[in-house]
Amino acid sequence: MQPTKSVECDGANGLRMFYSPSCAFVFATAILLAACFSSCARKESVKRKHLPPPVEADISGLPPGQHGGVFIQTSPGEPNTFNPLVSEDATSGSAIGLMLEGLTRYDPVREKVVPGLAKSWEIAPDMRTHTFRLREGVCWSDGHPLTADDVVFSFAAIYDQRFPNRGASDQTVDGHPHKIEKVDALTIRITAADTYAPFLQTIGWAPILPKHALQKNFDDGTLMKAWNIGEAIRNPDSIVASGPFLLHSFRPGERIVFKPNPHYWRADSAGKRLPYVDFVIMRFVKDFSASTVAFASGQCDAESITPDNVAWVKKSAALHDFTIHERGPSPNSSFIWFNQNPGKNKDGKPFVPAHKLKWFQNKKFRQAVSYGIDRRGIIDGVLFGRGTPLWGPETPANAKWFNPSIRQYNYSPKEAMKLLNEAGFKLDSNARLVDAENNPVSFALNTNQENPIRQNMATVFRENMKTLGIEVQLQFLDFGTFVSKIQDSFDYEAGLLGFTGGGDPAGGKAIYLSSGRLHQWNPCQPKPATEWEARIDALMNKQVKTLDENERKRLWGEVQEIMAEEQPFIYLITPNAYAGLKNKWKNIEVPRIGSIIWNLDEMFLAP
Amino acid sequence: MKNNLFRQLVATPAGAGAFLLLAALYFAAALAPFLAPYSVSEQDLTRTYHPPCRLLWKDGRVHVQLYWNKDRTASAYEPVAGQTAPVAFFVPTQKNEKILGFIPCAWRFFSVEHPARIYLLGSDSTGRDVFSRLLYGAQISLSIGLIGICITFFLGICVGGLAGYFGGIFDHAAMRLTEWLMAIPGLYLLLSLRSALSSKFSDSGQIYIMIVLILSLLGWAGTARVIRGLTLSLRNRTFVQASEALGQTPWRILWLHLLPNLFSYLVVSATLSIPGYILGEAALSFLGIGIQEPSSSWGLMLSQAQEMKVFMLNFWWLLTPGAAIVTTVILFNILGDRLRDIVDPKFRMTP
Repeated sequence: MQPTKSVECDGANGLRMFYSPSCAFVFATAILLAACFSSCARKESVKRKHLPPPVEADISGLPPGQHGGVFIQTSPGEPNTFNPLVSEDATSGSAIGLMLEGLTRYDPVREKVVPGLAKSWEIAPDMRTHTFRLREGVCWSDGHPLTADDVVFSFAAIYDQRFPNRGASDQTVDGHPHKIEKVDALTIRITAADTYAPFLQTIGWAPILPKHALQKNFDDGTLMKAWNIGEAIRNPDSIVASGPFLLHSFRPGERIVFKPNPHYWRADSAGKRLPYVDFVIMRFVKDFSASTVAFASGQCDAESITPDNVAWVKKSAALHDFTIHERGPSPNSSFIWFNQNPGKNKDGKPFVPAHKLKWFQNKKFRQAVSYGIDRRGIIDGVLFGRGTPLWGPETPANAKWFNPSIRQYNYSPKEAMKLLNEAGFKLDSNARLVDAENNPVSFALNTNQENPIRQNMATVFRENMKTLGIEVQLQFLDFGTFVSKIQDSFDYEAGLLGFTGGGDPAGGKAIYLSSGRLHQWNPCQPKPATEWEARIDALMNKQVKTLDENERKRLWGEVQEIMAEEQPFIYLITPNAYAGLKNKWKNIEVPRIGSIIWNLDEMFLAP
Repeated sequence: MKNNLFRQLVATPAGAGAFLLLAALYFAAALAPFLAPYSVSEQDLTRTYHPPCRLLWKDGRVHVQLYWNKDRTASAYEPVAGQTAPVAFFVPTQKNEKILGFIPCAWRFFSVEHPARIYLLGSDSTGRDVFSRLLYGAQISLSIGLIGICITFFLGICVGGLAGYFGGIFDHAAMRLTEWLMAIPGLYLLLSLRSALSSKFSDSGQIYIMIVLILSLLGWAGTARVIRGLTLSLRNRTFVQASEALGQTPWRILWLHLLPNLFSYLVVSATLSIPGYILGEAALSFLGIGIQEPSSSWGLMLSQAQEMKVFMLNFWWLLTPGAAIVTTVILFNILGDRLRDIVDPKFRMTP
């Protein structure tokens, strides 16, 4: 290592808090070394400020480890902000997630809500009043105690009209905000407008903000400007954290470095304060394939890998000592749907020609199309066999809520023809499918052009439909144009899209309720157009109002059955998910859904 | 003069070679429905990323080696020892496709019996034959240059010729228009035109015409300026003045006296600018805003080969459209160079 190179490193002055100047040089070099060639082992351990854990620390259930190590991730995007009220994108969200915590946390491996900043909670018999008790002795990263005042302040900021943020709609029930009351310094009472099943999970999404640091911005209305990237570059210490990490330095176009929060409120069973790692580096790369290449060449410690890349990434597993964990089906669904909107545009022209609307509204037609799709073929051919066919709205990834006994449509052109004949369709002399009025069956399928797997699915679908005598024209649009067609102008016949799923079924209200905006086959209905849509509305509304989990599973299971039977969305496939992680890290717990390093605070370097 | 030019062109090996190869390429593209063993969109999901098949001679006829998928998760294929399928020639087909859009084609040049498949250049992500798609893609990639050049030269001759001949206000207006067009960065204008028009055109035939139009409407300005300059210098020659004195109409003078004198320049410049159209189409398709699936073009095929796995798992046959583009562009440049040498001997390179 050339000594001159240390000049390029950002560590030197930021490290002053913990190290003497002579040490800083060594570790600055170490960070650079680690960032460039992470395979290069670092022997020195960083001296950290060790404070005794708080009285009511959360004790990790995983085996204890030791402090040390640098964890390197790559990210194709850069955070736009470190302010949770402003954050809209995944990269900002994941950076903020390392630094700020909510009252509750979600354990994706055990699939349950676990205590966060709140140590415990009680639910009153009215099923909507929750009393949260905060942990005693917990401090912000600057040593200021974290109390009920911070919680009240955070919700005041979220609900404040001056600060429009997406948390505001998350933290409402039927459009009404929760009532927040401070009981004493460590006790908070939160009353929801009505019983809301996923309340405990959603309350954890509201990050608790430091009142002492942000009160001034709140008062003068500049809260949305606080903690912006300029602030993070100039003065990273001003971003006060309650989570496992704090900002150490942020260099746009290069990397973010996080350091451990000396006041974090979790400890291991040996009494050591978490997190174990000394630094987390998020290095920015150009795009997803650059990120995958960085992992395959041993430059970073963790990466999600798409099915088509698994084969070649695996080749360097032994060389760079990593393992690719198979996570099973991903929670992302993909589906084809027909526009069943009976409305007319401004000029009085129907969105869909009347004879086509008649096909699309015919359940047997939709079922026949579903039977005609070779899902196994798409998986074997396009996804290298690494995928799972999908029959309903929930993918098998969401094991807790997945209903395995719904109707399946295994590839069978014969079954499809039978259903089409029953619905009055027949083949004409040119082997084209025609309806009862002799209209040849043909429609245009729209999808967005950015996604190569979706393009492949569309071309396979076209060939599959050709076997049934149906002519499909493919139209590839850019995502924005496509979305405006679906949500505003409704001038399309069929579409192919996907949803990122997983989590609580209450999150699907916008999709499954007939009044929902994402109820794409016929959105925003004033009242349900069909009996089965009315039934889904009733089931969905009932399931968010009951806290009995088995009852909720039954209700959501029935929604899945109806969706599979009626096929308003003709579900296609879900790719399997893969996670690559370096073997040197211990306490790895790869969940089926979500971030693979969700428990980064518990991960430690093997001795 | 035309015959003379052609004879001189094919007199040298470079000129003759380039001309013959290009002729063969265009011929193959025109005969795609006959030469390609499969249609442009025929998939086989059990044989994705299949490597090119080996051909061998057995029992007095050509056979194709059969392969099995050793590892589905990596699309690794291995030849099955001793298992081959005979290749049949002039196979009747039910596919009702037409050569050049009007000659019905009842045969395929070669094919193997189902369920075996012949992949001369391997298969793509949905098991389509890359060789067939290259041929069908050539129809678009190669014709776009010819059609584009026709539109460009028509516009260039009209605007440049009239501007040079009449001069004055017409000349002024036309030249400012061309300057304005040339001042706009081409690629951005192309991209914005394409995205502005994309919602209006969806069918692949319409997209094709739109791309030709966009490319040629951006390309005529340079041609118009050169033609104007040439016309201006010819205009004052005595034979033009003589025809004017004889009372011939401007159109007739343009057509009969000026155009033949411009002919040699036009031929050279056309040959040298065709590659621009081929590359323009490839660039648009590569960016995902050109020819769309399930149609095929060389740029589109190349854009589908830009994934990491193609390089890491060595699916090299997916890069053949790139080789096709490079070859065509080089051939056109050689041809253009030869033509220029013949037309303008002063520029000929001396050894």
